[in-house]
Amino acid sequence: MNCHPITRRESIKKLFKITGGLALTGVMTCPFQKTISAWAGSTNKKFIIEGIGQNPEYSVKALVEKVFEAAGGIGKFVSKQDVVVIKPNISWARHPDLAATTNPEVLKAVVELCQEAGAKKVRIADHTIHDARRCFAITGAGMVAKNTGADLVYPRPSLMRNMKLQGHRLDVWPVFLPLVEADKIINLPVAKVHSLSGLTLGMKNWIGAVGGRRSALHQDIHLTIVDLAQFFNPTVTLIDATRIMVANGPSGGSRSDVAVSNRLILSDDPVAADAKAAGLFNLRPQDIGFMQLGEKWGLGTTEFQKLRQTKVII
Amino acid sequence: MSQAFFFILFVFLLVESRLPQDIYLDYSVALNAEQDIELDYPVKYFFQLDPLIWITSLISGHQWITGFGWALGIIILTFFFGRIFCGFICPLGTLHHMASYIRPALKKQRMISANQKHASQRFKYFLLILFLMAALLGLNLTGLLDPIAFLFRSLALAVFPGIGTGIKELLDLTAQSDIKILNYISYGGEVLVSPVFGYGYKAFTSAWFIGILFLFILFLNRIRPRFWCRTLCPLGALLGLFSRFSILRLEKEPEKCTNCNLCLQSCQGAASPVPGQEWDASECMFCFNCFNRCPENAIVFKLGWPPDVSKKPDMGRRAVLGGLLAGVSFPFLGRLDGRLHHVSDARLIRPPGSLPEEDFLKLCQRCGLCMKVCPTNAINPALTEAGMAGFWTPNLIMIQGYCEYTCTLCGGVCPTGAIRKLSGREKIETPIRIGSAYIDRGQCLPWSGNGPCIVCEEHCPTSPKAIHLIQGTSLSPAGKKVNVKLPYVDLKSCVGCGICEYKCPVKGKPAIRVIAAGESRSVANQILLEL
Repeated sequence: MNCHPITRRESIKKLFKITGGLALTGVMTCPFQKTISAWAGSTNKKFIIEGIGQNPEYSVKALVEKVFEAAGGIGKFVSKQDVVVIKPNISWARHPDLAATTNPEVLKAVVELCQEAGAKKVRIADHTIHDARRCFAITGAGMVAKNTGADLVYPRPSLMRNMKLQGHRLDVWPVFLPLVEADKIINLPVAKVHSLSGLTLGMKNWIGAVGGRRSALHQDIHLTIVDLAQFFNPTVTLIDATRIMVANGPSGGSRSDVAVSNRLILSDDPVAADAKAAGLFNLRPQDIGFMQLGEKWGLGTTEFQKLRQTKVII
Repeated sequence: MSQAFFFILFVFLLVESRLPQDIYLDYSVALNAEQDIELDYPVKYFFQLDPLIWITSLISGHQWITGFGWALGIIILTFFFGRIFCGFICPLGTLHHMASYIRPALKKQRMISANQKHASQRFKYFLLILFLMAALLGLNLTGLLDPIAFLFRSLALAVFPGIGTGIKELLDLTAQSDIKILNYISYGGEVLVSPVFGYGYKAFTSAWFIGILFLFILFLNRIRPRFWCRTLCPLGALLGLFSRFSILRLEKEPEKCTNCNLCLQSCQGAASPVPGQEWDASECMFCFNCFNRCPENAIVFKLGWPPDVSKKPDMGRRAVLGGLLAGVSFPFLGRLDGRLHHVSDARLIRPPGSLPEEDFLKLCQRCGLCMKVCPTNAINPALTEAGMAGFWTPNLIMIQGYCEYTCTLCGGVCPTGAIRKLSGREKIETPIRIGSAYIDRGQCLPWSGNGPCIVCEEHCPTSPKAIHLIQGTSLSPAGKKVNVKLPYVDLKSCVGCGICEYKCPVKGKPAIRVIAAGESRSVANQILLEL
């Protein structure tokens, strides 16, 4: 410890040098970040957080906030003046308690968090399966948009752009523009079983982000899921497992298909998030094709010990 | 003035016959499973106002349609004031008025001779009697030529989609451009245009013909002013019948007349305004042109009491007899193809809540309201599927759209009740079936060994699902055995909604298709032993 007292001028100079140096290194490593995290094993460990609402009267909004807090706060992901787009699953014109779509309370909480973090614009975008206006009404997404002032984007052909996905099976495919033209993307799927892929979680949610002949994707569903997942690079994935569909997925249709599980899974590793959610259905990630492929192609890992794991219980 | 008001009201209600713009702002629809999405505006209003629709629905289907009081009011009004509906309210009349008199095609003398009372004006009575007689015998063809139904169908199925497609294509072009400003113009334009013209490209079978017919009818105004109103309109004929005792009438003073024929030149109804001839109350549309034009004030509209009996409507024996004969033969001609007495065509899929076919044909006015309101554009005008008797009645085409599981909008807008109003709950729980799906194994991807699929099962909305997947093996075209999940339809659960056919990747002729058999409304058209 230096006994010589430091003057104000010197301390300010030192601060500028440090922040300047940090900013410079930050800028220089930007282009390499993707490579680093994908190949070399990141210097920054990825995290996975499981939030559980044990108290029967727990508030969904509080659980969302706590989960993000455990990840370091929303400010870590959303910066001031960011354009944030949220990709929920509002593709089915079903009531929220049928668990075919993302819980509107979770959606609302995430939108409000982003707004608190100072986002310039928060958009909600999903290329719905059923008629979009009915979906917006019946899933509650429209009301969320009205109450929070978020932008609910109507999916239309003029907003689809052909893009090179550079996947193993998919080359050029029409993509829903708002999900690419944003500063930050938050993937907000609902956890359901699926008759073909086994489960539909975060990675499969991106099928709702593209247009074109989506029905043809089923002919190689696991590979196409991974192709889409590697194209979209979400800031975080928050899997809504407050109510999960355990039978007759993905469309369901009866309350008997739903299990109330009161959980949320937040991660910046898309494969790990899905793998964690698989446990809720008593399935192993090793048995699910797209999770194995995702790990193989370097999108993430199913080995949770490599990540910073946290549990939040309220 | 009032013409403009009613015309704008008509167009406004037409545009509002769609999913409400801000339905998604009402969370209660999401929370409360009982509440259905409903239209805020009284889109049926003009149909309730139309006396011809009321009377034929009554004669034919024995149905007092909701809101018939308005039509009754119009008849009472006509009784006292003559055909002011034609002159002041009818939106099609307004259109014809504009088409005839904006830069009139006929100059002076030709216009005068065109406005002379003509024998062809009896034709509308022929049509009226035809429709009334046919309705009495169980076939309601009125909507084909009723002015309100005609205008609605033409605008909703041809004019608006036509304009909408044109604008959309332009907007899509600018959206694809690399210039950002053009993109934003396109997005903004689409937000403004879509609520009026529809989201997506609307398409309807034979819409081209509906459009051409509409343009042709409008064009006829250049040959003879208000041609439709004078010669074709069955509603005009009906109102003319009631105009005899009108207390509002045209009083002529022949001494003042100088035979300038200015009144005749501007007469829209060809109702003989010239002094010296007897004024024809049943042809007069009360446009007041003659009164305004006469420089000598030789003709004047007066309210007189007691009502003076004007001359009888000039129907002509031929028109009446012809109408009766044709009216009797049409219902039987319509039954000749056997669709009513045998099982109906497999391709005829009626909207959910439709009455059994015989009652349906008695009430359906072929107005196109259900086609306009359907959010997926599935409902189309039938061409041959329902036979001659069902021409232009609603028919669902599943490769174009599908019936949304909880949607009941069509029943909510049908003005005569040919499609019953259902609640969402009733539709799901009964369940109301509109058909059954069947799989063509030769085309289905997994069954034909061309790859895995399951899209149909994935989208099937019923619970329990009506399509099951069973793991099995299939022979690929190369001769290899492949392990695939094979779809099987469970007819007991299938409601015929058609989303499987709509989403099936085998484009153009889907491997899973919906046929009418199994529809709830028909006792005979069933497949299974128990319902």
